[in-house]
Amino acid sequence: MTYPTPIWAVAPFGFYLLLIATLPLFFSAFWEHNRNKLIVAAVVSAPVLIYLVGVRAGGGQMLLRTGCDYVSFIALLGALFTISGGIYLRGSLVGTTLVNTAFLAAGAILGSLIGTTGASVLLIRPLLRANQQRAYTTHMVVFFIFIVSNGAGLLTPLGDPPLFLGFLRGVPFTWTLRLAAPWALVNGVLLVLFAILDRVIATRERRKPHKAGVVSLHPSAPQEPLRLDGGINLFWLLGIVVVVFVMGSYGTRLFGDSYLRSLIQILGLLGCGALSLASTGREVHEANRFNWGPIIEVAVVFIGVFVTMIPALSFLGERGASLGITKPWQFFWASGALSSVLDNAPTYLTFASLAVGVTNSGGGVLSLDDLGGLAAHPSGQHLLAAVSCGAVFMGAITYIGNGPNFMVKAIAEQHHVRMPSFFGYTLWSFAILVPLFGVVCHIFF
Amino acid sequence: MIKDILVCLEGSPSTEAATRIAIGIARACEAQMAGLAIIDEPDIRAGTPTGIGGSSYKHDRDETLVADAKRLADDWVALFEGRCRAAGVPARSLEIVGRPAESILTEMEAHHLTVIGRDANFRFETEEHDSRTLNAILHKAMRPVLLVPETTELELGHTVLVAYDGSNAAKRAITSFAASGIAQGRAIHVATVDDNGVVARELSERAVAMLRAANVAATAHNIVSVLSNIDALFKLAGDLGAGLMVMGAFTRGRLRELFSGSVTRGVVEQTEIPLYLQH
Repeated sequence: MTYPTPIWAVAPFGFYLLLIATLPLFFSAFWEHNRNKLIVAAVVSAPVLIYLVGVRAGGGQMLLRTGCDYVSFIALLGALFTISGGIYLRGSLVGTTLVNTAFLAAGAILGSLIGTTGASVLLIRPLLRANQQRAYTTHMVVFFIFIVSNGAGLLTPLGDPPLFLGFLRGVPFTWTLRLAAPWALVNGVLLVLFAILDRVIATRERRKPHKAGVVSLHPSAPQEPLRLDGGINLFWLLGIVVVVFVMGSYGTRLFGDSYLRSLIQILGLLGCGALSLASTGREVHEANRFNWGPIIEVAVVFIGVFVTMIPALSFLGERGASLGITKPWQFFWASGALSSVLDNAPTYLTFASLAVGVTNSGGGVLSLDDLGGLAAHPSGQHLLAAVSCGAVFMGAITYIGNGPNFMVKAIAEQHHVRMPSFFGYTLWSFAILVPLFGVVCHIFF
Repeated sequence: MIKDILVCLEGSPSTEAATRIAIGIARACEAQMAGLAIIDEPDIRAGTPTGIGGSSYKHDRDETLVADAKRLADDWVALFEGRCRAAGVPARSLEIVGRPAESILTEMEAHHLTVIGRDANFRFETEEHDSRTLNAILHKAMRPVLLVPETTELELGHTVLVAYDGSNAAKRAITSFAASGIAQGRAIHVATVDDNGVVARELSERAVAMLRAANVAATAHNIVSVLSNIDALFKLAGDLGAGLMVMGAFTRGRLRELFSGSVTRGVVEQTEIPLYLQH
């Protein structure tokens, strides 16, 4: 049997993801500059662009559709980034186990409303401030990454970039709510484990206080009551929810043409971001150390991801079951394993496309451009649920699995928290997360 | 005679003790002092997997940590200069941006003695503990190192124990110690640990002769003990009330150390008195 997509066309996608994972390690000074990232993205994308425009039938149309998805994707991330950067939780609480667990629980809910990046930006600094007097805080940041930066984002397309990519490709806005049970199990168990661990560590700290005579290099700030600065941004956040929900649920009825629909959605998202910028005081942005660097970096790097993944997704959609991954549990672990070492957004689309291929192998007639069909298919929806859970949850396994992971690590280190190395963190996640995901897989997939 | 002492500065209590002892030696030997603070920028900025969007945060984090390290280095240098001024000891200070071990090893070449806090952490921005730097210095240094633990008395003790095993490093330690001027006016004891008491006596007598040739009087001890070499040395040091121990550092090859352990490492980890070490 011959397929329209040759295997070589997948190579740039794999190669690009490999570069994203390794260049910061071996050529960090080079990778620091967005111009260099753009050059890498352009060079790796070039053969794919040539293939799509010059060889592949309908390649231009695929490129246009993907370009539209890219702009929508970046518009959402940019708007959420701008809005969350305009909210600052001032003041500090005393970091008891109860307060810390409540912080993480709040993050577990907020993550699905303002995105895991937004919730992480909003909550990590107050959590660190609340625990300035604690001698050992590494476990808090590790569990923060597990819960707030990853597990929290499963319930809505706003929660985590992979789910928004699914939404852009037709998965209904409310479909992810049916993943509430695995969301509750993972976050609930992690919260309980955190509370027990934090209690044990806090008790040990009380029994063995700091050595006398050791001068603290970083004296703590005075206590002040908790208050929210930039609260107006909650309103713009609601605007984003409305734009995404309305366009996802009623967009086809209101605006028949899909490109017009995308344009309206993009304008709505950018409008919310612009209103946030205009209505937020400079002191709030300064408190959050807000700058455009991270979102520009995301926008630049994802150009290459979106271009190179076009033939890769087609390849997987065409081959489907012949690749040997057919069961929900296989999708859960496979999408999760890749999400843990590559970014989880492209991984989600890769395995969702494979799920379309597998479903079509069993007699389905689903389109790669419409994952809504997969979400509604009797067997396909289980595959999509497994991919969603795998991509979102297992983004927590390494620092590079999901965007906010490294951000939280960097902010914690700026606050002089000793964070584990890349492999040290992975040991934490293998000890805690992997057994938990085994339970999730056993129960749900 | 020691005329130039390098003190490696950072924020641990053992460096506080090291500075105090170094000032005492400088006053006794009329030496000048140099304080060295290191900004470990290479380790702070070292590459790491960052994921998509992470390199901007890494850049911010690196800038914050480098600025923090610079501020602390400024503070330590100012503190060092103030203490030397108060003690009437001529001093200058250096701030070097670079890897701690390489920076210290390079700077050591220009000084007769280097004084380091036993628990010093020169990679304080990125590591909880820094045994790597001290390990590299003790393995590679061509000049003597005075390692000072936090528990050191206010001044260097009157009694000195020289631990001698006959190795080239131990010979170099004795030679440089005798020439340093630190031995003057102190009671020097030389001890060799061996299962054969005659061999131990012979070795320690040889060391005493070396010291005598340098106009330093010393008493020989041979130790035959059921205790480990390290424990036997510390027991004798305790019995003598020694306030300083002199020994060759890492006299065995790294391969032998790997299989049979290192006396130097054990002594460095357990000592409560300053160690004069030479590789």
